Amino acid sequence: MDEIIRAEGIKKAFGSQQVLRGIDLSVREGEAVCLIGPSGSGKSTLLRCINLLERPDEGRVLLRGREITKLPAATLHAKVGMVFQQFNLFSNMTAFENCLAGQRRALRRGRKESEEKAVYYLSQVGMLPYRDARPAQLSGGQKQRVGIARALCMDPDVLLFDEPTSALDPEMVDEVLRVMADLKKGGLTMLIVTHEMAFARDAADRVIFMDEGRIVEDGRPGDIFAAPRHERTAAFLRRSLRDTRG
Amino acid sequence: MPSTFFEWVGFLVNQYGALFLQGAGVTLLIALVGTGLGFAIGLGVAIVRTAELRQEAGALPRALLKAVKGLLAAYIEIFRGTPMIVQAMVVYYGALEYLGLDIPAMTAAFLVVSVNTGAYMAEILRGGILSVDAGQKEAAVAVGMSHWQAMTGVVLPQAVRNTLPSVGNEFVVNIKDSSVLNVISVTELYFMSKSAAGTYFKYFEVFFITSVIYFTLTFCVTRLLRLLEKKLKGSDSYTVYGSQSDAKAEIHVPKEG
Repeated sequence: MDEIIRAEGIKKAFGSQQVLRGIDLSVREGEAVCLIGPSGSGKSTLLRCINLLERPDEGRVLLRGREITKLPAATLHAKVGMVFQQFNLFSNMTAFENCLAGQRRALRRGRKESEEKAVYYLSQVGMLPYRDARPAQLSGGQKQRVGIARALCMDPDVLLFDEPTSALDPEMVDEVLRVMADLKKGGLTMLIVTHEMAFARDAADRVIFMDEGRIVEDGRPGDIFAAPRHERTAAFLRRSLRDTRG
Repeated sequence: MPSTFFEWVGFLVNQYGALFLQGAGVTLLIALVGTGLGFAIGLGVAIVRTAELRQEAGALPRALLKAVKGLLAAYIEIFRGTPMIVQAMVVYYGALEYLGLDIPAMTAAFLVVSVNTGAYMAEILRGGILSVDAGQKEAAVAVGMSHWQAMTGVVLPQAVRNTLPSVGNEFVVNIKDSSVLNVISVTELYFMSKSAAGTYFKYFEVFFITSVIYFTLTFCVTRLLRLLEKKLKGSDSYTVYGSQSDAKAEIHVPKEG
């Protein structure tokens, strides 16, 4: 399988705080990889370095073998989509317009094609009936599903999820996770920062455990959850699984 | 000759109606042009003042931006820190005596009110831009938009809509404060009133009429702005289209509460 994302030696500091201490990572086509780990372990920062919302201090990221700093910004952001914890929908636009904005402005796609894509992906996440609603009129789960559709409209090679369910009320978490599981079945390449251990265990192809800016463990979810090789992983999983009834 | 207050008011309206109307027209024109141009100036200044250049942009552009920001901050401080009546004198007589430019009073009026309003608008709109949460800007970048596209498509529409009440307020202020331009002989409402009052020495009666006209102007403008605000806010309701079983079904969801 083709390698979509390859990160080599990523280091990033904010002031004196060293957040990433040398990360190597590879995501292959069609893979769903979950990044887990305690708060402050650098998961979100790593994600943001992969689509250049943050610039790594050291190291490089390759997208299908091409260094991302050398790609035009619009190309990079179209190919590496992002779903945010706080949804970040454009609140001056309807759900439908949210899905059109990037296609029309950044990709300069024609109106007809953009609208067809928006309709297609809104219906895939079950939000087509709400296409004329503005973000303020939607629930958290609905907003996040629109956020996912908006990212999909760009035809990304890989979709990054930054704690997509952390800001949701418990009863809305499942509707978003279901959409993500469907996308996984459809073969979308995904890199997901999550605290949903049950989702990581059941839906991911690979789980990566990060702590203090380093990757501690990287393996199949069955192996990691059943028999973590590191004490730190085991301790984190014990804590997390105690809190989750998944 | 009229004897009572109301007779005088009626007499003066008859006698000077055209003068009052002309003055009101000039006042409205100055307020309109001044607020419009001031808004444009303020928008430009606010965009520059909220712009950030990344480390990678290089030292020279970053230094340049910093210098421009400093100049703009000085502009805002100076024009907010001095009265418009003084600015009018300085601009008008400064141009006349030092630059040899005898600029028409109306041109000076437009200039002074626009530049003065621009300083206030710059701060209002800067607040509006900063009030749009950073996440939306980030999301715009994440779907491939450039900084400029994110500004025009996402940030500014919200910033302008959020600041509309304050922008309207500036318009009302300009209707009233353009009266200070009488010191450079701009034929706005206050100047016209003063001329009318001088003839019969009927200051109270004339300025009673003048205050009624000012109030009518500001009241109408305030109502119109309220209407515009409502329109820009958009509909409170939306339609849910289709359902699993019937694609033609439509549910109209009204405003909550």
